[in-house]
Amino acid sequence: MSQIDIVIDNMTFTAEKGSLLIDLLIKHDLKVPYFCYHEALGADGNCRMCMVEIEGQKRPQIACDTLIKEEMVVRTKGENIDGVRRDILELELINHPIDCPVCDQAGECKLQDFYMDYGLYESNIKQSDKVHHRKHIDLGSSVILDQERCVLCARCTRFTSDITKTHELGIIGRGDHACVSTMPGKKLDNPYAMNIVDLCPVGALTSKDFRFQQRVWFLTSSPSICHGCAKGCNIFIDHNREKYKDETIYRFRPRENQQVNGFFICDEGRLSYKKLQDNRQLDMILNGKSCEEAEALEAYRNLLEAGSGKIVILADANLYTEELEMIQIYAQKLGATLSSPMVSDLDDAFADEWLKSSQRASNAKAIEKLGIMTDLPDEKIALLINFNHPNTVSIDAERVISFRTNQQKEPADLILPLAVFSESSGTLTNEDGIEQYCPKVITRNDPAPTVIEWMIRCQEEVE
Amino acid sequence: MKACQIVSRKFHIDQSYRLETAKEHGAYNTLKEAFALSPVEIIKTIKESGLRGKGGGGAPAGAKWMLMPQDDERSSYLAVNCDESEPGTFKDREIISKDPHLLIEGIIITCYAIKSHDAYIYIRGEYYQFQKILQEAIDEAYTAGILGERVRGEAYRMDITIHRGAGAYICGEKSALLESMEGKRGHPRLKPKQKEPEWYFGNPTLVNNVETIASIPYIIKHGAEGYREFGTERSPGTLLFAMSGHVETPGIYEAEFGTPMFDYINYYGGGIRNGKKLKAVIPGGASTAVLTADEVACATLDYEHMRVVGSALGTGGMIVMDEDTDMVEALKNLLEFYHHESCGQCTPCREGTGWSDTILQRVLDGRGSSEDIDKLLELASIMDGKTICVFAPAVAIVIRSFIGKFRDEFEAKVTA
Repeated sequence: MSQIDIVIDNMTFTAEKGSLLIDLLIKHDLKVPYFCYHEALGADGNCRMCMVEIEGQKRPQIACDTLIKEEMVVRTKGENIDGVRRDILELELINHPIDCPVCDQAGECKLQDFYMDYGLYESNIKQSDKVHHRKHIDLGSSVILDQERCVLCARCTRFTSDITKTHELGIIGRGDHACVSTMPGKKLDNPYAMNIVDLCPVGALTSKDFRFQQRVWFLTSSPSICHGCAKGCNIFIDHNREKYKDETIYRFRPRENQQVNGFFICDEGRLSYKKLQDNRQLDMILNGKSCEEAEALEAYRNLLEAGSGKIVILADANLYTEELEMIQIYAQKLGATLSSPMVSDLDDAFADEWLKSSQRASNAKAIEKLGIMTDLPDEKIALLINFNHPNTVSIDAERVISFRTNQQKEPADLILPLAVFSESSGTLTNEDGIEQYCPKVITRNDPAPTVIEWMIRCQEEVE
Repeated sequence: MKACQIVSRKFHIDQSYRLETAKEHGAYNTLKEAFALSPVEIIKTIKESGLRGKGGGGAPAGAKWMLMPQDDERSSYLAVNCDESEPGTFKDREIISKDPHLLIEGIIITCYAIKSHDAYIYIRGEYYQFQKILQEAIDEAYTAGILGERVRGEAYRMDITIHRGAGAYICGEKSALLESMEGKRGHPRLKPKQKEPEWYFGNPTLVNNVETIASIPYIIKHGAEGYREFGTERSPGTLLFAMSGHVETPGIYEAEFGTPMFDYINYYGGGIRNGKKLKAVIPGGASTAVLTADEVACATLDYEHMRVVGSALGTGGMIVMDEDTDMVEALKNLLEFYHHESCGQCTPCREGTGWSDTILQRVLDGRGSSEDIDKLLELASIMDGKTICVFAPAVAIVIRSFIGKFRDEFEAKVTA
């Protein structure tokens, strides 16, 4: 394949000969409307929205089925082509319910966007003439279908047939009675099912978890990395701080990264945002009672000094590399043994051959690189300092200091709250050795300190 | 009227669908001649005969056969299109019910020419009775050693399988037919970027209409020149023209291309029913532009002349309408059909067919306005040329021709 120059809207672009025209248009942000095309699913050619004019062709052509050729001259705008798009959009809309005010997709709906770009006409069809379909169908896997809002782009059916190969969804019926459906009595049931909510360009497929929780235009999307397993899928964290309330995460969405996760994430990772908010450890607890920071730090110092004997530090393999390094230095200073037992992190029931890794700890590779031991020390322990590691049950220690993001049953002499990953920043190394930076996204009204902040505070006390 | 019996030769014979009777009248006689020729020679003969596909498009059959690779490690297939669903068209079922062995003979020769050993006959689900007759004929052919491991003792395996459709008009479109045969939804495929055969599970496949395949034995027997004795220079041969509607004797009559339409209607159809006057004819199945009586008077039944009068020969299934016909009702009948049969893949067709049907219903209910008629024409231009297959453009042609030629009748409905 060779690189060639083609002309689009009087500008010259270089592209690979034989590649898809629509990819070039998307890459250079040249406005072209489309519903059915998706880079992960390829061209289907059913929505007919991505029409462009190509010199020498008497009819407008769909960009998603046009291969780039030498000396191609393309027009994406102008009275004629705008008219064609407007006409086809009008047909998309004639049977669409007029329910934008109560539709959860409003604000991130392609029909709305394209109507603002190309439509802006009065409706030509009477409400009573519209074709009606079923609404609020629980497809399974937390996905709700509204057949009336569907534009039949077949992205969801192609996702289940071509990507997950689970084939739960199909289009039944013909003409304007066609609609997306599962087989009678069957449910949408696969670990990636909720990706079809993102794929759906309109309000036909919505997430049971997210719908009606928040209007999308209030949300801020911040890039992050999923901590659900060692795959390190790239995500957006959609969050908002409502008036008089705390910053809240409403959903995770996949963020494209061809080296890691492509376009998708698994449902379990998607819903793992709840762990960042539910059941959080926010108080400092000394001997079972809430205490102030000064009291806690004093207790911390006392516990360190009182213990004569072995100190063991446990570190969660989900902590950022920078945090682990800091803990490693701290352990050396205390003469403590640092460990991050991996036993509980391997989960073969979770794993598959795509995006779900059996290594559930998101930064396990960094533990390996830093040379942190992963065995459980079997000698008698005087003091255990645990940085959010979940495996404490089998360790017998005289005294325990526990830094926790979430509340746990295990007792400890001193419990100190810890920031979750979205409230901190740092680097993760995924199972393939790819290092990814994860910025701080959430600032709570009353923030829990990060590992590094705790280290500074505790060491000030020590010195 | 020149008598021609290229495919209808055994139609009048009692029990001609039975192998014994068919053989008495020369069935399978051309197989020996065909196997004496090389596949390339057969394709050359078909190309020279000028045989055109008889499913409606009228594309040259020889050129299509030449797209099939002669040396390919993949298997080749033949799919015989018997999804005859075009309103006004009922010729293929006549071949199947009256001379199925002619079709089988044609299939064997065609498969030999394209180096295929497996043929599928895609028959519309509603043709249950015809399918039974066809299956019995195939079974008889297997028993007689005409089909199976060795075709009549030749070292050539040949298997024919009937595939019943589930009653979708769109499955008559060749790529939708193959999608359906692959067990998927019958949706037309995106058009290829260059000339190439069709693909069945990724294997090169030839799709031809029943009548096209049934014409092959005659061409092999009489040669390209023998076939060219009928028809015109550019539309050689004959077609089983079907005639329905307001004529005295509707039915199927084989006629050569170039026959004047008016003569055909009067000679075979016995003129307009009850001595009425002719108003219009839809010439080639529903999806061709309607012709007024004046246009019918100067039309001849071949691909080129039908284009000159602004329509198309299509499948040759004529729907004749007399002076009492309500053209608005007639269009409504057709739009209901298209509304029901649009596969729903492309937006303009899926929504356009339904909406135009809804608008016309409003006109018929007396709730319409002049703008509705213009809206129908506008919808026709939105649907035209923007879809994957030619379904929507055909609807556009129908709407434009009905309103264009009989607008006064539509206006009368909205002003009444």
